[in-house]
Amino acid sequence: MLRRYFLVCCFAAIPAIAAAADDIVVIVSQKTAVNKMSRDEVINIFLGRNRQLPSGVTALPLDLPSTSPEREQFYSRLTGKSMSEINAYWARLIFSGRASPPSMVHSQEEAMQMVADNRSAMGYVARSKVAPSVKIIFELHPE
Amino acid sequence: MINPFRKGILFGTIISIVGTAFCVSAIFILMVAFITAADTRKDFARDMDELLDTVESTASVACFVEDKQLAAELVSGLLKNRVVSRVVVQTADKELARGERAGSYRADATPEPMVQAVSRKIMSPFSKDKVICEIRMEPDTREANRLVWENIYFTVSLLALQLFLVAAAVVLIVLYFVVRPIRALSNNLHSIDAAAGEKLLSPKEHQGNEIARLTDDINNLTGILVDALQNEHQLRTQQEINEQKYHSIFDNAGSGIFIADVGGHISSFNRSFVLLTHFPVDEHGQSPKLAHAPWRDHERLMEAIRVCVETGANQSVDLKLDTEEPCWLNVILTDSGNDQVQGVVSDITQAKQSETTALQMAVTDKLTGFSNRLGLERYLPDAIRHRHGEPLAMMLVDIKGFKQINGSMGMSAGDTVLKVVSSRLKGCLKNTDWLARLGGDEFAVVLHGVSTQAAAESVAIRIIGAFRQPIEIDETSIASGCDIGIAFYPTDGADLPSLLRSAEFALSYAKTTASKDFQFFMPEMVVTAEQHRKLETELHQSIQRDELRLFYQPIIDLQEGRIVGAEALVRWQHPTRGLVPPDAFIPLAEETDFICNIGLWVLETACRQLAAWQAAGQQLYLSVNVSARQIPDALPPELILEMLKRHGLSADALALEITEGVLLSDIAKGVSWLKELRDAGFRVYMDDFGTGYSSLSYLKRFPIDVVKVDKSFIRDMDEETNDRVLVQAIIAMAEALGLQVVAEGVENECQISLLRQMGCRYGQGYYFSKPIPANEFDLLKQKGIYLPSPKFSCLT
Repeated sequence: MLRRYFLVCCFAAIPAIAAAADDIVVIVSQKTAVNKMSRDEVINIFLGRNRQLPSGVTALPLDLPSTSPEREQFYSRLTGKSMSEINAYWARLIFSGRASPPSMVHSQEEAMQMVADNRSAMGYVARSKVAPSVKIIFELHPE
Repeated sequence: MINPFRKGILFGTIISIVGTAFCVSAIFILMVAFITAADTRKDFARDMDELLDTVESTASVACFVEDKQLAAELVSGLLKNRVVSRVVVQTADKELARGERAGSYRADATPEPMVQAVSRKIMSPFSKDKVICEIRMEPDTREANRLVWENIYFTVSLLALQLFLVAAAVVLIVLYFVVRPIRALSNNLHSIDAAAGEKLLSPKEHQGNEIARLTDDINNLTGILVDALQNEHQLRTQQEINEQKYHSIFDNAGSGIFIADVGGHISSFNRSFVLLTHFPVDEHGQSPKLAHAPWRDHERLMEAIRVCVETGANQSVDLKLDTEEPCWLNVILTDSGNDQVQGVVSDITQAKQSETTALQMAVTDKLTGFSNRLGLERYLPDAIRHRHGEPLAMMLVDIKGFKQINGSMGMSAGDTVLKVVSSRLKGCLKNTDWLARLGGDEFAVVLHGVSTQAAAESVAIRIIGAFRQPIEIDETSIASGCDIGIAFYPTDGADLPSLLRSAEFALSYAKTTASKDFQFFMPEMVVTAEQHRKLETELHQSIQRDELRLFYQPIIDLQEGRIVGAEALVRWQHPTRGLVPPDAFIPLAEETDFICNIGLWVLETACRQLAAWQAAGQQLYLSVNVSARQIPDALPPELILEMLKRHGLSADALALEITEGVLLSDIAKGVSWLKELRDAGFRVYMDDFGTGYSSLSYLKRFPIDVVKVDKSFIRDMDEETNDRVLVQAIIAMAEALGLQVVAEGVENECQISLLRQMGCRYGQGYYFSKPIPANEFDLLKQKGIYLPSPKFSCLT
């Protein structure tokens, strides 16, 4: 019983730890023909270099809110840059209008929903939030 | 004339500094220009690089998303820089952006781009090793060049200005610290009078530094120079005074002074030189030579000059001048360097004349005016040398009996005789022969070229003849003679001493030889003389050795035919020669005073004999010969009396025989001695009467008792009428004067007969007995004497 309690306690602590240590995965809709993407392809899409999937479908990247720790972890693990750097990057591009940042969703669940619903949509969530309606095409492990 | 400024230190300094600065500047400016250009280019490239740095991140983003607008923004931003001419942003497959500035120059427009284009590879913002594009930026070359040149100009101008300022500063410093003080010193130096003791002042600003020290040094140097000049001046003044003094001494000196070279050229001479040497003052302007003076032996003078110059030792020569009056000059030469001599000439004529006179005096016999022994010694070696050893005869001439003449007639008479005979002697000689009086009555004659006895003999005979001529002195006529010894050069003597010795031998031989008045030298004479000397030595020992004997020759009374007495005669019983006759040793003894010793011995012996006879009852007397040397001092009457007394004899037992000659040396003393003897009771016999110089007046002057007629008269009286007459005259005269007569040398009956007829009472001679020893005499006395009959006559 005591042992179970200890486990419960441990599990109870998991969500917080998991949020920090959990894999961030890039997801697309199960309907999308793409199964796997490289890091550069993910960067190109999320940082505005191009918005096309390898299948030729226009991609629609989704960003978590700026307060979301997953967003920070995503960019940090993907490009090695902090959020302020990413913001400065976008500030230069926004001025010319040639490229635009990904569209913002309110939560991981919304992201899950929009990806599952839209073939072009492409988002990132913690692995624990992944539902069967999406496909993981790229994984970012904790460092 | 060159501008003095151009020769000055300032000008030189400026030129040097400007020149140096120019050269240094040129080098530095070039270096600086290069360095500046390089630096500028480097700066330019760095600027461009930095420019790219500023846009790199933006370019990275623009290229990543291939944002042309952003890229164009970027390009135009870069082009705002003046140095940028063109910018191209190129991705892998396309040109993203390009921009050029209007009016700019690029590398392709200018041939030598000073600044290269810059390109930068731009990495992906998300991947540090992935090139996504390249930015190429080309510079504006004109602008870049302008920038370079601007830098060069600026730097160079700065440097040039700096150098100019330094040069100017140096010039000013030199001007102030060096040129001005020196000029000031120089001006001061010109204005001061150093001889008056004024001193140079150093400029006020330069007290205590090198300029001041230089001033002091100059002042010291000036002081020394001024002192030296003053000394020099004083010396010169003194020298001038001395020169004047010496010049005046030189001019007025009594001695002649000259300076001549080895060749005899005279460079200087004084008045006295001209006067003393009779130097011809040259009218032709020829250079004077010593040879112009009338030297008799000019070569000697030149030789002396040569020796003086060679050895450096002073030379003195006496030289005669060929002038009317005899003139002798002494020249003292002193080496004065440079092959020249100083000569001092003085007149020594008087000294020379007195020297000559003194020399003449020394070699001249004062009395006769002929040469003396010294003169002969001087003359003969020279003569032999000049005549190359030609033979000659040396004669020694000795006046016979000169001592007697001197003694009886006085020294002045002797001198007169010497003068007379010397002039006669000279008259017998040739002009080339040489006559000298060696001393006393001895003359030497040198007959040149006479080598044979015949030639010498003729001269000797001539001389003997001349000497025999009577000499009148104080109205008295003196007959003399001479002995001559002759020796020949070189056979009898190779030099004067040996030649004289040989002639001396010959002379002494001639003296002892009555028959011949001259003798030639023979080597045996030396032997004889040697024997003579030996004999003399032995004679002196004869008394000591008891070698003398007294012999007795009886004196006979011709009337009664009995022995009345005897003449005591000394004989020398020589251990090796036997009995030496008196002729052989008495003259020898007479040469020395030994005859006195013999005389005493004879007297003593005679006294002893008389005493013996007296003791035997015999009434006999003895007559003893007295030598001239014994009279008067060696035989005083008191001595004889004392001797007689000792033997117990009376004075009448002893008679003393003297010859005429013994009294001649000092007549007064001789006469007084005789008187004393006779007063004492002795009888005095005159021996050898009729020979020698005796004159009848002597018989009157000398107090004698008996005359002994010389045997030379008796010997020939039986044959020579003249002798007979003479004997008769002597006997008659003696009788008249109350003197007794003894005839000597009676040898035959005829003589006895004649003597008896003439009235001669006593006789002695070989007819009766030769001199015999005492014992034989006693026998004879006993035997008695046989006389011829009174009637016997041998005259026919």
